[in-house]
Amino acid sequence: MLLDSRHPFTRGATLVINALLMITFLSLASQVWAHKVNVFAWVEGDMVFVEGYYPGGKKAQNSPVEVYNSAGVKLLEGRTNEKGEFSFKIPAKEDLRIVLTAGVAHKNDFIITAAELGLSESLSDAPVTKISEKVAAPSSATVDMGQLEVMIDQALDRKLKPVIQLIRNTRKEGPGVTEIIGGIGYILGLFGLLMYFKSRKDRERGQRSAEYGQAVII
Amino acid sequence: MHISEGVLSPPVLVAGAALTAAGVAMGLKKMDNESIPRVAVLTAAFFVASLIRVPLGPSAVHLVLNGLLGIVLGWAAFPAILVGLALQALLFQFGGLTTLGVNTFIMAGPAILCYYLFGRSLTSKHPGLVTAMAFSSGFLAILLSSLLLALCLIFTGESFLQAAKVLVLAHLPVMFLEGLIVAFCLAFLMKVKPELLGVTHAAG
Repeated sequence: MLLDSRHPFTRGATLVINALLMITFLSLASQVWAHKVNVFAWVEGDMVFVEGYYPGGKKAQNSPVEVYNSAGVKLLEGRTNEKGEFSFKIPAKEDLRIVLTAGVAHKNDFIITAAELGLSESLSDAPVTKISEKVAAPSSATVDMGQLEVMIDQALDRKLKPVIQLIRNTRKEGPGVTEIIGGIGYILGLFGLLMYFKSRKDRERGQRSAEYGQAVII
Repeated sequence: MHISEGVLSPPVLVAGAALTAAGVAMGLKKMDNESIPRVAVLTAAFFVASLIRVPLGPSAVHLVLNGLLGIVLGWAAFPAILVGLALQALLFQFGGLTTLGVNTFIMAGPAILCYYLFGRSLTSKHPGLVTAMAFSSGFLAILLSSLLLALCLIFTGESFLQAAKVLVLAHLPVMFLEGLIVAFCLAFLMKVKPELLGVTHAAG
């Protein structure tokens, strides 16, 4: 009954399959997939901001975040808010590994290097201070180094914001059409290769048995 | 369904890889020249299926299609799923290369079970039975995969019951959806290309 092409149910089934295929192709862009979670972290002032999201850009809300130092000691932990974000004050000026766990079986990490964290500290290093003191000495209006540092940091944060935003957005893209088509190509190629080797083996075996058959006849 | 790297401990990873290696060897042995194109087509379907999401509250789950691969391919589902997952890991960063063995077994193991439970029904001349078996295959494969996944997570300190509850609940819509998809796919293939299913008798 089901296999009868005139039956409306079978026609319905075909329609559904076609519709599914259509939906697949239409929904390829900007989607949420729950098989991978991404972490991104950046420094603003003396705070580190962490963001968790799935491919396609959906936020990883209320997910546990753990921060480890380079020796693997846990420094602090917390949870992302409803925007998928979590922030903390820089606990130590060393490489930080930020681990985010999203639901069951999904986990990813992001490493923020000491260089990123210590950007502001290098300014107040001893040699730099000496030079600037020499320069600043003749002028009557001496600029407080600490103040200058804060101002530069703020300006940099402001200028870098769009760049960080750009990086965040780029990282949110899911698999593109190139990867999908490429993957299908790999699959066809692999199985084509397998078929080639299998058929060659079969042919050799066929030849051998044919020769054997001739030998027997002779 | 894809376990990320760094979640499981090495013994679980090694055990998963060993089981998968055995399954793949079995699958390659059972594969003949005639079935290779069929395996390739279904591998491609499996590879793409993970991109179809099923929205569900704050999270989302995706299609797996391991029930379809199991009922149609039998043991060849192992190499098919391994290839599909390897490419997903390399190209999409889903799962990971170290968890490839475990992930393959989680999806292919239930597929083989479905093959033994329901695969024989494909040669049945009763279309209603084929549809019912196909639905069960799609449904059961996801259910068992969720449970296997929960089982793997025991060793990470999660309680089995809790993980199983979360995973089974999250995949409930996928179970029904996959059941329907497998049923429709088989009904469609039976009609237009029964030889793709390895069924020699004429449809109808």
